[in-house]
Amino acid sequence: MKQYVIKRIAGTVPLLLLVTFLAFILINLRTSDPAEIALRVNQITPTEEVVQSMREELGLDDPFLIRYKNWMMDSFQGSLGTSYVNKKPVLEELRQAIPPTLELAGATLIIIVFFSVSIGIICSIFENRWQDRFLRGFIFLLAAMPSFWIGLLLMWYFSVYLGWLPTSGKNGPSSIILPAVTLSLTFLSTYVRLIRNNMIQNTQENFILYAKLRGLKQSTVMWKVFSNSIQSALTAFGMSIPRLIAGTVVVENIFAWPGIGRLCVKAIFNSDYPVIQAYILMMAVLFIICNLLVDIVVVMIDPRLRREAK
Amino acid sequence: MKKKFLFAMFTLLIVLTGCSQATKSNPAAVDKNELVFASTKDIRDINPHLTGGELAAQNMVFESLVMNTPEGVKPKLAEKWEISEDGLTYTFYLRKNIEFSDGEPFNADAVKKNIDVVVANYEKNAWLNLVQVIDSTKVVDEYTFSLTLKTPYYPTLEELGLTRPFRMISPKCFIDGTTANGVNGYAGTGPYILAEHKDNQYALFSVNENYWGDKPKIQHVRWKVMPDHQTILLALQNGEIDLIFGADGDMLDANAFTSLQDEGKYVTKISPPSGSRSILLNSKREATSDKLVREALQYAINKQTIATGILNDTEQIADVLMSKSTPYANIELKVRSYDTQKAEALLDQAGWTKSDDGYRYKDGKRLNLMLSYNSDNAQEKTIGESMQNDLKAIGVELELLGEEKQAYFDRQKSGEFDLQYSLSWGLPYDPQTYVSTWRVPSHGDYQAQAGLEKKKWLDQTISDVLVEQDETARVEKYEQIFSYVNEEAVYLPLTYSVVKAIHAEQLKGVSFNVSQYEIPFELMYFE
Repeated sequence: MKQYVIKRIAGTVPLLLLVTFLAFILINLRTSDPAEIALRVNQITPTEEVVQSMREELGLDDPFLIRYKNWMMDSFQGSLGTSYVNKKPVLEELRQAIPPTLELAGATLIIIVFFSVSIGIICSIFENRWQDRFLRGFIFLLAAMPSFWIGLLLMWYFSVYLGWLPTSGKNGPSSIILPAVTLSLTFLSTYVRLIRNNMIQNTQENFILYAKLRGLKQSTVMWKVFSNSIQSALTAFGMSIPRLIAGTVVVENIFAWPGIGRLCVKAIFNSDYPVIQAYILMMAVLFIICNLLVDIVVVMIDPRLRREAK
Repeated sequence: MKKKFLFAMFTLLIVLTGCSQATKSNPAAVDKNELVFASTKDIRDINPHLTGGELAAQNMVFESLVMNTPEGVKPKLAEKWEISEDGLTYTFYLRKNIEFSDGEPFNADAVKKNIDVVVANYEKNAWLNLVQVIDSTKVVDEYTFSLTLKTPYYPTLEELGLTRPFRMISPKCFIDGTTANGVNGYAGTGPYILAEHKDNQYALFSVNENYWGDKPKIQHVRWKVMPDHQTILLALQNGEIDLIFGADGDMLDANAFTSLQDEGKYVTKISPPSGSRSILLNSKREATSDKLVREALQYAINKQTIATGILNDTEQIADVLMSKSTPYANIELKVRSYDTQKAEALLDQAGWTKSDDGYRYKDGKRLNLMLSYNSDNAQEKTIGESMQNDLKAIGVELELLGEEKQAYFDRQKSGEFDLQYSLSWGLPYDPQTYVSTWRVPSHGDYQAQAGLEKKKWLDQTISDVLVEQDETARVEKYEQIFSYVNEEAVYLPLTYSVVKAIHAEQLKGVSFNVSQYEIPFELMYFE
């Protein structure tokens, strides 16, 4: 087991290198000059001399590979550079933007777990009856709507029409409800279906039949069905966490939520390379770690895989 | 089972809705000491000597020696001033007993330090002509300060009064004797101080208790950042914000403005014309290098459709480039009003003949033009589509090319466009700063004019007028400049842009400053 984990962790290093290098290439393929953009964002007329001195200041005159090497070395030492646009350390910017996004992702996760499990179970109980069809249809409809649209509808209904919640901003616990609900809708449909189908499948398994024959309580039987159904959902769930964090962009913009998604969009528009690069690095690390954890958990749960890992 | 299902559904509903307060929260209505203003942008670094911050926020905290008003330049931190005969030396007599909000005294020494650091950071501030012509500064006595120029420069006072860079910040805020690399505080002499700033969330301004002038009635101004326009509108309807204020569809598009106006629950206001919105007709490109074609385009566009149909009559139709209320622009120029027959006649004359497919051809080539615009700006796209339609009627094919902001700027710089939007800087930058940028190659104006026969003369005349001391000669030179570009038809004037404000009914005193970028919060109050 230990060996397996070590092997997997060692494998992440070249993966990270590859991801960051590809990202570096892609960002640099952009024809616009980041020095000029940094000037324009600060409303400075970009004459040739100013652009040149800015290029020197930002170290953009160095060849591509040197810049990549410098960036890598700095990142290793924990410095992600400074923003081209506002000259603040990127680490500081990330540090400010990550907690709100994590809060949002956490709240969304709770909503997803709660509703996908409860609706999934309800659907399986009422398999193919109107309740099942209605719930699935409804969830599907919500998931099919783009989040900016559903977000604005929710905002209009719950804030302006009913006056129950603030429209936007990060201001007290009630302000997280609308963005978290909006964000969860995209994911809900997948999990409801996954849990529902697994539940239905497992009810027909032999071990459930035997459990019933043994005269076990209805709730115990249900729990057995459920705990067997949740496994594959867990794997998918693990990979949803980074997707959730990376997918907050639209919702953060609409609900004026001061998170990492907004930071990234702004950085892209301003060609703020250090910020984009740090964002990609962070997301890559997040995806890799989540993937690793999920794999390890699955190996731990499944005796067959555990033997294989040995 | 059914009961369980109903119970589950009920729980779902409760959770979805029940976690909130049952009463409508309306922070704006409760605390009448605080005005909540929504903006799509954060105030960022409001260092008044750099250009990275929001002008409206800089204007709340920092003041300059003089101020621009509709009646001309008026005293602010300087009580009065004298200009030497040769137009080179300006002597300012400062107001006494003023302190920066950190307790530092405001005096000639502070003024000198402020102006010196702005001029020393030449590279970043040279976009303003005044920075280029300042020769030296001098403390005459504690409350007298003098400024000497290398050459006479007539808009000196106007430019000293701009929102940046010549605003006064406490010398204690300088880092290593300069503001070029940032400041360690924002102590100004203005009516408000920046009390709190949370990046990309909000900024809170509080009244400067030691303000030397009339203290504002509203104690706090909360500047909320909301990146999405639709959210801003909903927040206004929900009473979470009191004021939306901005120019050129920055905060509000014309449709949203009109629908709120119709609702009747809010007060809507429009400023007098501030800037000029026009289309550049590139004199260096194949088809548009022909003056006849450029003129034809001017007659072909139905501006009424644009002003009424797209801008909902919030902006005035522009007959000529600069509105007559702009200084030095009150001149009689040839007006080219909508007249398709005339447009067609001009194109015939230019040798573009109509073919069976409805388009015009010359030497087997179709008359095809490209309008480049910034795809972020939804309004520009709609205006483009209206023009496309108008031009098709006279046999001209107009291609619309919407590009991401920087790509648009790159195209502007390289001159690779037939038609492109041009927005003037607005008062008080107009006309001097606007025409001054016509000489800079990175501007679309320069590129569009580059094919003109007398472009060299035009640039020289602009350089001359900026240093012209004699008022009559200045009037004459501006007339030459505006007449020439009008005669050559390189600008297709569309409308004069305005600033729009929408606010809650209980908010009073909402007005406009000369500069479209400033918001006079200090005059507002609740009733």
